Amino acid sequence: MDSKLLKKEKLLPLLDELRKEFLLVAPVEEDALLFYRPVESVAEIKLGSGRSVVPPKEWFFPQAESLYRYSTEGGGLVLEETLAATPAVLFGIHPCDLRSFAVLDAVFLQEPVDRYYTLRREKTVIIGISCTAVCPECFCSAYGISPVEGTGADVHLSEVGAVYMVEVLTPKGKELVARYQEFFEDQVAGVAEAKEARKETLSGQFTVRVTVDGLPAKLGSLFDHPYWEELSRRCLGCGICTYVCPTCHCFDITDVCRGFEGKRFRCWDACLFRDYTLHTSGHNPRHALYQRLRNRFFHKLKYNHDRYAIEGCVGCGRCVALCPVNIDIREVIATVRGLGE
Amino acid sequence: MNPLLPKPATIVDIIRETGDVKTFRVVLDDPEEMAAWTHKPGQTAMLSVFGVGEAMFCLASSPTCRDWLEFSIRRAGKVTSALHELEPEAKIGVRGPYGNHFPYENMQGKNLLVIGGGIGLAPLRPLVNFMLAPENRQHYGNIEVIYGARSYGDLCYKEEVFRVWPQAPGVSVFTTIDAPEEGWSGHVGFVPAYVEELKPSPENKFVVICGPPVMIRFTLKALGELGFEEKQIYTTLEMRMKCGIGKCGRCNVGARFVCRDGPVFNLAELKELPPEY
Repeated sequence: MDSKLLKKEKLLPLLDELRKEFLLVAPVEEDALLFYRPVESVAEIKLGSGRSVVPPKEWFFPQAESLYRYSTEGGGLVLEETLAATPAVLFGIHPCDLRSFAVLDAVFLQEPVDRYYTLRREKTVIIGISCTAVCPECFCSAYGISPVEGTGADVHLSEVGAVYMVEVLTPKGKELVARYQEFFEDQVAGVAEAKEARKETLSGQFTVRVTVDGLPAKLGSLFDHPYWEELSRRCLGCGICTYVCPTCHCFDITDVCRGFEGKRFRCWDACLFRDYTLHTSGHNPRHALYQRLRNRFFHKLKYNHDRYAIEGCVGCGRCVALCPVNIDIREVIATVRGLGE
Repeated sequence: MNPLLPKPATIVDIIRETGDVKTFRVVLDDPEEMAAWTHKPGQTAMLSVFGVGEAMFCLASSPTCRDWLEFSIRRAGKVTSALHELEPEAKIGVRGPYGNHFPYENMQGKNLLVIGGGIGLAPLRPLVNFMLAPENRQHYGNIEVIYGARSYGDLCYKEEVFRVWPQAPGVSVFTTIDAPEEGWSGHVGFVPAYVEELKPSPENKFVVICGPPVMIRFTLKALGELGFEEKQIYTTLEMRMKCGIGKCGRCNVGARFVCRDGPVFNLAELKELPPEY
């Protein structure tokens, strides 16, 4: 792995250069909320930002996207794929969200690969950024994620004093750094150590210690436990936890058409919605809210692990921060671990 | 290859099976794609009515039928009602085939018991016709079919059930309807009771069963009492699906996706899964 330095004052000029070549997607503030959006000017970028409200997965897997257009004019049928991806740089991704891409990759890159996701993923260079603070809801360390590590990024930046330590992690990252080498300097002594020290400081700041050891197996014995019904009594079934979850990948496919022209598109869906599993016959295998809430926690904490051998939660804390009735996945994990069988 | 993009296809024929079930014969518009199409008994495919939506159906035709694909569809929801409105020559979309299949390889040298209720015979029919195809018949033993519906009018595939299958060597067909009816001289009663009455032997046999949940539940009880083991009995699950390729999430039962890991499961496998289907 190569290490470089980037002086802080050179970051925006670098991003500005990147913007000329790539579509630059970066954290921006809209109505005091943070999103990842394509930017026209680097002045829009919110540097030093924390966690976005909607996770950056929406760059690879948009909230709604067209799959193809169709025309049924004159009794015929013409289908036209609407598959498009521009070479892009996705800037400022925190370690928890970097991990989430690996979780989504397990779903979308598995055969048969999802062409829409794959194309965007292939054409995007990811620049990660270390956290400088720990949010009150964060618990990424439970999943072995360090707030200063860039696994999953092509290039990763860690703020250390007046510079960013630059880790070049993939061939894609290497190509990018080589192409814009005039912005980078050689690594100097002490920077890597300073980054390690930051890791120490940050790991002391997590407000809640979460342990997930043995959780998938434990949950297996708790499917019928009354806890899920109790927990669901305050759940509104609003689905916000799924919309802000960086690893939720469920979607619906539907049509919009006018006359003979139409398009088929997909949009995010949520397992907490009643009609998500509703059969045409009227039968619903998860008709009760407790069954749907249980399915969500089982998916995050067990099924994903069982199916893909990667944890379905990254500890970003978004669902904790935004649940209107304070259902806290950290509390669920702790309770479940303490339950008798 | 974009797995979410359907192949344009044409409905070439529509057969009315019952008051609310039609069988659609479908041909892919690209002759090369039609020639290259292969599926296995028990697999499914996604049908599109453009402007309305997509839904998953079992393939009701045998893989040995190379001229068209068949789907038997009960009018029930948005997509199925739109399909029922269509006439021959109408254009639809097809993508698939999806999912696993009945273990016809392991069934070689064995007898088969087919138990169907109403339109539940649709996913089992390809297996029967596959085994009855001249090139395959020698590999399989006797086939017993126990098939019931609410009334005579609700029995699907009457030509096969009453004529083609009973005439085939080594095949016995037992039909029943729920209540007596004028002109019906056959058995009257529910499927589970008929199974109890017929007492099929579990010897060297696989069972495939599909039908209304209540029929399945009581029939399984009867089969258990007759000495059938869980690993001998296969069924096929239905779930709401959108993508068919294990991405959209909704058809999960535990960590398994019915679209990819199913729809065919034996009872032993089903017992390992949470009862959410």
